[in-house]
Amino acid sequence: MSTSLFKLSRLKFMRAPQLDAKLAIKIIMGLVILYFGGALLMGGIAVYPILSDSVPEKDAISVINSILIIILIFELIIRYFLQQLPVTEIKSFLLLSIPKKRIIHNILFRSLISVYNVTPFLFYLPISVNLYLDDYTAVQAVMWWLSITSFSLSLNFISFLANKNNKLLATFVTIIVLAYTSERYFDIEILRRAGYFFDSVVAQPFLGIVPVLVLFIFYGITFRFLKENLNLEGALGTKKEIARTTQYDFLDVFGTSAFFLKNDLRLIIRNIRPRNIVLMSFLFLFYGLIFYTTQEAQSQEMLVFASIFISGGFLLTYGNYVPAWDSEYYAFLMTQNISYKEYLDSKFRLMAFAVVVSTILSLPYLYFGLDTYLMILSGAIFNVGLGTWITLYGGLLNKQPLKLNVKAKAFENTQAFSGTQFLLVLPKMVLPVLLYTIPARLINYGDEINHTAGIISLALSGIVGLVFKKQILNLMVKLFAKEKHAMLAAFNQK
Amino acid sequence: MILTENLTKSYKNNPVLSIEQLEINRGECFGLIGNNGAGKTTFFSLLLDLIKATTGSIVSGGIKVSESEDWKKFTSAFIDDSFLIGYLTPEEYFYFVGELRGLNKSEVDAFLESYKDFFNDEILNQKKYLRDFSKGNQKKVGLISTFIGDPKVVILDEPFANLDPTTQIRLKQLIKSEIGKRELTLLISSHDLNHVTEVCSRIVLLEKGKVIMDKQTTTKTLQELEDYFSA
Repeated sequence: MSTSLFKLSRLKFMRAPQLDAKLAIKIIMGLVILYFGGALLMGGIAVYPILSDSVPEKDAISVINSILIIILIFELIIRYFLQQLPVTEIKSFLLLSIPKKRIIHNILFRSLISVYNVTPFLFYLPISVNLYLDDYTAVQAVMWWLSITSFSLSLNFISFLANKNNKLLATFVTIIVLAYTSERYFDIEILRRAGYFFDSVVAQPFLGIVPVLVLFIFYGITFRFLKENLNLEGALGTKKEIARTTQYDFLDVFGTSAFFLKNDLRLIIRNIRPRNIVLMSFLFLFYGLIFYTTQEAQSQEMLVFASIFISGGFLLTYGNYVPAWDSEYYAFLMTQNISYKEYLDSKFRLMAFAVVVSTILSLPYLYFGLDTYLMILSGAIFNVGLGTWITLYGGLLNKQPLKLNVKAKAFENTQAFSGTQFLLVLPKMVLPVLLYTIPARLINYGDEINHTAGIISLALSGIVGLVFKKQILNLMVKLFAKEKHAMLAAFNQK
Repeated sequence: MILTENLTKSYKNNPVLSIEQLEINRGECFGLIGNNGAGKTTFFSLLLDLIKATTGSIVSGGIKVSESEDWKKFTSAFIDDSFLIGYLTPEEYFYFVGELRGLNKSEVDAFLESYKDFFNDEILNQKKYLRDFSKGNQKKVGLISTFIGDPKVVILDEPFANLDPTTQIRLKQLIKSEIGKRELTLLISSHDLNHVTEVCSRIVLLEKGKVIMDKQTTTKTLQELEDYFSA
């Protein structure tokens, strides 16, 4: 069954209408995966020796153990939002004479072969090897690896179950929040104890059996869940929500563009994929914390970089696919009484609106001083005036349709990433840094850096973008009209 | 109303549509028939500028559709379910279309009131998004939405397909009454010879992208068509 399925997916790829473009995308995707895989592997190889050198008073493995729980929680969050078990493929096999049990075992095993499950091999395995090389016995090294791997693979099933069952999700969220608060505010060591557990595995390797048992239990629960719900209304169907007609009247203050804003808001709230992406874009708000808390160690360039991210999270996540979000009903939009100009302008407004909202939400950064916040503010002005258009330009060149109400497959978000879009990351990220740095370094009156000049230059560039908005919009309309038929053809491929 | 000159469409030197000249008059109900692959949907897609013609031009209401987008102001269409926005409720969808054609919420409500029979209590106030409706009910929404704001040109691709028998009959009555109400140029394609000869004043038969027959409908038309297709 697996081989015939593989054959089908190969045929789907080979017979795709835009094979050349897809091939290029696949190659870029491959490079992206290779990059992340490589980074993970390097991290896995290097972390143990580095910790041994830098914290000689502690056991390196103990330090690693103490943060494993954090990694696992992160892993669960990422899996919950992005990973999808290939259950929908079961549909075509339900009517064939294959025992249900075999179908489910097959699906569950195949779900283990996924990009989300490479961490044990790329990251934990090198650590385990290092452990063995560093005077631990082979049994200790293997059992340590086995236990963390079992936990990681358990998450594979937990995230699936949590996706199907709101109560389970609530339970997990409560446990994590309780554990965090008790640790943080009441000094009750719960999260830290997780680290002690891995320490104990190293000390008493037979304890490594426990995580393996946990893995088997979650496998069993998932198996039973699927077996009982293997029909079109249960595990295979999509949840039918109760719909309410909403008007979002509070948005009327935005005048004529309110109408489009409302619809985009509905798009985001009511569809799994955009909803998840927008939720993730909120994480960008915290991006600055990494840099500002270590301000002394950072160059000004890196701080500008961070500032752009804080207000630009929505542009980088949602904005990149802007016309593609409408791909399911693109033909409809193109025949309705909307001019290209109005349509593009509404998309510009949506993105500008999101930047403004992020900027308001980033007010707590005032804690790091007015200079820091002014930097965020000037970055936001750049994002409104120019970042929006650069993003939209990239989006117009994207010819990958998006299915709204299904989760993205692993790295599928990178699929809608053309070579040109790849290049556009440069102006979006590097241009603001240059706009800040060049004046800041040139007009320095003997100081090392002229912060004010940099900020003014960055903000000015955004204002220039806003002043010439009409001209930019006209250019975009021309590009849009030129690409229209190619986009319609591409979006029609389902 | 619509005039096409020397219109052809080919994919990789493979011609799928080739019409020398075709004029569709104001207020005409134009029925397009033909087997699969005859070029019906291609023709409609060209009229709506959804695909680019290989040669030739289309002028609708005095506007060249490939050059200006002003034809959108008086044209509406329902080709397939990609003309629906799945995450909206039917009401929201109607308001959306209404707003694009200059109708406010209460005007749309008044408009919908007159199509109550057609909806058969299956469309409004269902607490469901369009994506969760059955194919037939989705189609009802799409069809009715094309009449919002009294567009002068309405294009419907296979409007009778997927509809239940009651709704098919109601759709025929509805089309006839729309034509009677105002000057409407209606273009429909269909595989159902009965329906199309009943509502359309002119029938054009396509085969492999070429016009084989172009006639005003008479009592004999249905028989002629049946003879043609059974031959």
